[in-house]
Amino acid sequence: MNMHSSTAATAEEAIAAQEALPPLTNEEATQVAMSNTLLTPRFYTTDFDEMDAIDVSSVREEWDVLIGQMKADPNKGHFKKNEDWDDVDWDGMEPALKAEFIDFLISSCTAEFSGCVLYKEMKRRGSNKDITELFQLMARDEARHAGFINDALREAGIAVNLGFLTQAKKYTYFRPKFIYYATYLSEKIGYARYITIFRHLEENPEMRFHPIFKWFREWCNDEFSHGEAFALLLKTDPKLTESRMNKMWIKFFLTAVFSTMWVRDHQRPEFHKALGVDPKWYGQEVFRKTSEITKQVFPMTLDIDHPRWVPTLNRMEAANVQIAAGRKQGGVSGWVKRMAGSAKAGFAFVSLLTIPVEKNAVPASPRLEPAY
Amino acid sequence: MGLFLREKETAPCTVTISHRFEELSAHVRLDNGAVIYPGDTVQVQGPEIMAAFGEMIEEQRTAVITRASKIEQLWTRATGDFEFMELCEFSFSEEVMS
Repeated sequence: MNMHSSTAATAEEAIAAQEALPPLTNEEATQVAMSNTLLTPRFYTTDFDEMDAIDVSSVREEWDVLIGQMKADPNKGHFKKNEDWDDVDWDGMEPALKAEFIDFLISSCTAEFSGCVLYKEMKRRGSNKDITELFQLMARDEARHAGFINDALREAGIAVNLGFLTQAKKYTYFRPKFIYYATYLSEKIGYARYITIFRHLEENPEMRFHPIFKWFREWCNDEFSHGEAFALLLKTDPKLTESRMNKMWIKFFLTAVFSTMWVRDHQRPEFHKALGVDPKWYGQEVFRKTSEITKQVFPMTLDIDHPRWVPTLNRMEAANVQIAAGRKQGGVSGWVKRMAGSAKAGFAFVSLLTIPVEKNAVPASPRLEPAY
Repeated sequence: MGLFLREKETAPCTVTISHRFEELSAHVRLDNGAVIYPGDTVQVQGPEIMAAFGEMIEEQRTAVITRASKIEQLWTRATGDFEFMELCEFSFSEEVMS
């Protein structure tokens, strides 16, 4: 097992400690000791003129307060390893748990990284000062989170490879309003996910099998304030949340994000077992918190207590298992299995969309503070 | 821009990689102000740029931009929105989806 920097008091010492380690500096040894994970973020472009045209003057007062808070950077000193970062027994960890936990860390790192790339691109290409400033601050937080997760991965002997830059990368396209919906929702659900685990582990500290969970509260407070900024952006143009078409988009986004989370979490049974968390309870709990928060700006919430909600999510999950099995099997019969699974998943998704929503009267001022 | 044809061009670029505890990030800036449109592909030329842990590297390189054909651009515009799930921490990794 690689030695790690957990005994260091400051980030500088942690860096020095890690740099001094032969397995990390000697190329040959690195190849043996570290398995390489290529980060594969996506690259985005959008309609920058439309984004530059945003006018935050209708929410100016709240906007300035929020940006002021983000600039003050209360979490600056937080992402450092201190005495709370206890030793991790990677070698003693169940292989199945280790694999799922590492998958969790890598996908978290990739998501932070992708957010960072997107925000930085917006910052660079935009010319509206309010907007570029926001994106700059968010890129800062995401890069910081990614660095922190990266360090946890290094301890586990996983080297993140940033070599994707010299590979061909295709730029995909996001309409600005989709950036608002998607990032707003991903930041808020991220908050709900992290805080739910954090609170659960506060009550059950013996289940905390890795120290990174102790950092989840401040981490998710960053996510929360990013979400707040997007809530204000959504407020600058009432059409974004009030037109009939956009209401349909919001419902679509909520359904897609919730159901993906459900399916994905069920793919990590060992991870949840080790935390002592039932993924079904966890899913519903996260949906409940997210719904409560999104009432600040979305005109509806999904009816997650509807009799068809959980059974349909379960059907979707089963369909996903079938798709994975078909892919593994290969050949014509594998292909047939996969296609049948995809059809079932698609059908389940449409069925979720037909569940009536619960209407919500949006308050005049959206601002919230993290309360869970 | 061709309807079906892709065109290539080059642009000087600055690559910045931070592989540090306090920041993990990697960015490419096109220095001649070239604008990337939906569906375009960018590839930085030269050997892989590796930053050791604790390092921040900035390098001047050349990027090859492969412009998407009109058809591709329209297609990317129409469908790109659906890749938003990537931003969620629980998004599917490449291995699962491919």
